[in-house]
Amino acid sequence: MLKALAFATVVALAAPALAAPQVGQPAPAFRLTDSNGKARSLADFKGKTVVLEWTNAECPFVKKHYAGNMQALQKAAAKDGVVWLTVNSGAPGKQGHVDGAGANAIVKAKGAAPTAYLLDAKGDVGRAYAAKTTPHMYIVDPAGKLVYMGGIDDTPTADVADIKTAKNYVTAALADLKAKRAVQTASSKPYGCSVKYAG
Amino acid sequence: MLHWLAALALLLLPTAAAAQSSAQLEHTSVELIAETATPAPGRTLTLGFVTSPKPSWHTYWLNPGDAGAPTRAVWTLPAGASAGELRYPTPETFVVSGLMNYVYAHENVLLVDVTVPAGLAAGTPFPITAKFDWLVCDDEICVPEGATLKLDLVTGDGTPDPARAAAFAKARAALPKPVDWPARFSFVGDRFVLAVPFAQAAKVRGGYFFPAVEGAIGYAAPQTLGIAGDTLRLETAAESARDLAQVPGVLKLDVEGYDEPLSFEITAAPGDVPASAAAIAPAAAAGSDGGMGWQTATLALLAAVAGGLLLNIMPCVFPILSLKALSLARGGASEADARREALAYTAGIILTCLALGALILLLRAAGANVGWAFQLQDPRVIAFLFLLMVAIGLNLAGLYEIDVAGRGAGGALAAKGGAGGAFWTGVLAAFVATPCTGPFMGLALGAAIALPPAAGLAVFAGLGFGLALPFLALGFVPALRRRLPRPGAWMDKFRRLLSIPMFLTALGLAWVLGRQAGVTGMTLGLAAALALGLALWWFGRRQGGERPAVAPLGLAVASLLAVLLVTPVAQTQAAPAEDGTLAAQRFSPEKLAALTASKTPTFVYFTADWCITCKVNERGALGSADVAAAFEKAGVTTLVGDWTNADPVIAQFLESRGRNGIPLYLFYRADGTVEELPQILTVDRLTGLVA
Repeated sequence: MLKALAFATVVALAAPALAAPQVGQPAPAFRLTDSNGKARSLADFKGKTVVLEWTNAECPFVKKHYAGNMQALQKAAAKDGVVWLTVNSGAPGKQGHVDGAGANAIVKAKGAAPTAYLLDAKGDVGRAYAAKTTPHMYIVDPAGKLVYMGGIDDTPTADVADIKTAKNYVTAALADLKAKRAVQTASSKPYGCSVKYAG
Repeated sequence: MLHWLAALALLLLPTAAAAQSSAQLEHTSVELIAETATPAPGRTLTLGFVTSPKPSWHTYWLNPGDAGAPTRAVWTLPAGASAGELRYPTPETFVVSGLMNYVYAHENVLLVDVTVPAGLAAGTPFPITAKFDWLVCDDEICVPEGATLKLDLVTGDGTPDPARAAAFAKARAALPKPVDWPARFSFVGDRFVLAVPFAQAAKVRGGYFFPAVEGAIGYAAPQTLGIAGDTLRLETAAESARDLAQVPGVLKLDVEGYDEPLSFEITAAPGDVPASAAAIAPAAAAGSDGGMGWQTATLALLAAVAGGLLLNIMPCVFPILSLKALSLARGGASEADARREALAYTAGIILTCLALGALILLLRAAGANVGWAFQLQDPRVIAFLFLLMVAIGLNLAGLYEIDVAGRGAGGALAAKGGAGGAFWTGVLAAFVATPCTGPFMGLALGAAIALPPAAGLAVFAGLGFGLALPFLALGFVPALRRRLPRPGAWMDKFRRLLSIPMFLTALGLAWVLGRQAGVTGMTLGLAAALALGLALWWFGRRQGGERPAVAPLGLAVASLLAVLLVTPVAQTQAAPAEDGTLAAQRFSPEKLAALTASKTPTFVYFTADWCITCKVNERGALGSADVAAAFEKAGVTTLVGDWTNADPVIAQFLESRGRNGIPLYLFYRADGTVEELPQILTVDRLTGLVA
């Protein structure tokens, strides 16, 4: 019995690393502490559309979108009742890692408007979602199903000037969800800096 | 006035920052070079964008992998001219925290062809301006850099610039070679399989496929390269997108006989791929060709001799050897006879080893994925060995005698006189030794497969030589022979005692048979053993001068037939955790990749029911509660691969580690290093891994 239990534990511990999420499947559940010390889990937002945004404030690709684009997306989402969770999976000592106060300072300085800024220093949630880049975007529908994963738009550069000509996949997917259509572009290649995981 | 000044400043600014052909940025220096300073109208002009990242920084391939970005160019060209796509040299792989990057960590040249419009008079200025943007990263920080570079060319006769000739030749050599091979790909379950016909498939020692498109493969997953005839088969984890009309990319291959890897630009279309392939031979140890190869061969040979020597004390071989040795002492054989017997015995062993080795090499050449002791993966061979052990055990126990020469009872199987008897004893010893692939031998036999066939056979012969060595020494050194105990009545007792290890070996084999062929198979084997026992009993009584009924002879025949009926059953493999206190998961290369990617310390071991060393370790150090506790505390995940029945995945993995047999114990640390443990494990050694 103990052996079986130990075995199950090992399997459970190993599982997040193994399962890359699939569009159309339930989004991996998680529980993280936000920048204000409050526990947040995906289940808290059942019934609402949830956007997950992987971030690293020092990454040039993130800076590109925080020149105004990302904040605009966050505010538009909030207006539509969409939950926006910014996730930082940077490990302590690595570029972009922040504690709660640091996260709040960034949110304030940038005028960002996420529902919450989640701290994932161990990288478990990042790995569960196979988040590879900053930014890397995911959208979970009100039923808890993953409906989009990939890049924020179709122009993989660090140049702010490219935003106005790019097709924004997150905007498009949220519009599809709002109109109760199937998400047309459900996945794309994420681009940006690599997520600075531990190890 | 102010406006006028501002306008002037704006006009002057571009001139002040006048574009040069090169630029020095914080993390990269770049330069735009032209193959000719005088491009010929109507012809193609080749330009090179030279990027030199500073040490430990890198720039990206056209598909950057999991993260990163390729280089982009925006051209400003004279009217009528146009620039083609950037052509990238073959990249390198670079993994950070489990994320794959396709990069250049050194100077690299992207080439681009510019068409020069026809009809331009010679001497016409032909200025080229290009704005380049690229991303340069080290293992943590990424910095986008960019530069606008300018070349002031003048049309002319297109004579190549001699000062640039070497640079362009080198840049072209670094490009993958475009080929139109009919490459195919297929998604098989959650795997991506690529099949590429390659004339020198047998000479490929390693390779990597860089897909140019997203959605084909999981970049960080390990790629397994194999050969099926003259087709290379590359398998790796698939990505989620499945609706790819084609998969273009670069196949980089290490080919024997070439100092540098060869790279080919291929485009794979959906199509049939081979279901399986033989593992490619691992590259000989690093270093220059030839010399190192022989060093590997010599080392492998020495290891094989040592391993063979060690086999003599294995429970399956020791009784045969010791009786053979005693027979020399008892017989009081002449010098010449002793030598002849020793040589015959050696010949029997070496020829058997050579035959098994040649068979393996032949089967592998034909595409099968087999390793040493591969024959033990067939339950019929196990059943035969089991009956053989029972027969030898019964003989040692004195139930019957073997007397081919007809010189009356008294000569046990292993004590048969004469060179012929010695030869067959050697054959027997070599054959029964295979379940006991001892320490040193895994390494040597793995190398034997990788070496050229002649050298490989030499290693197999070396194994036999090692096995024969003790008896050879007895035959040739009379002093050693005199050290043997005096013959006497005790020898009969000793012989009967030696039947015990034989019966124990038989017991072990019966268990293996049960694991392979189920309870029915094992029962059939035991019934056969009973029939054989009865037959041998009958035979023994006849030797004793009695005339028993003939019936048992029929039983003996029946027992042999039973062997043929034993077939493998599909096993429902129970979680191997039941065998020890160490909780373990079934091994798969993907699981291992995922664990190493997530920096989980991982202990990997391979076992088979017919591998006695493996079982000893599992009962001993691996079964220890201390080890289980230490591993659990350190968060170590254990993966176990069971090779009792043939499994190409495991065979390929062993091969990738330069092994061809088991046991194999590997410890993957969180920092990505791998430690190969000795074949005899101790509790201290294992707990020391996580201390």
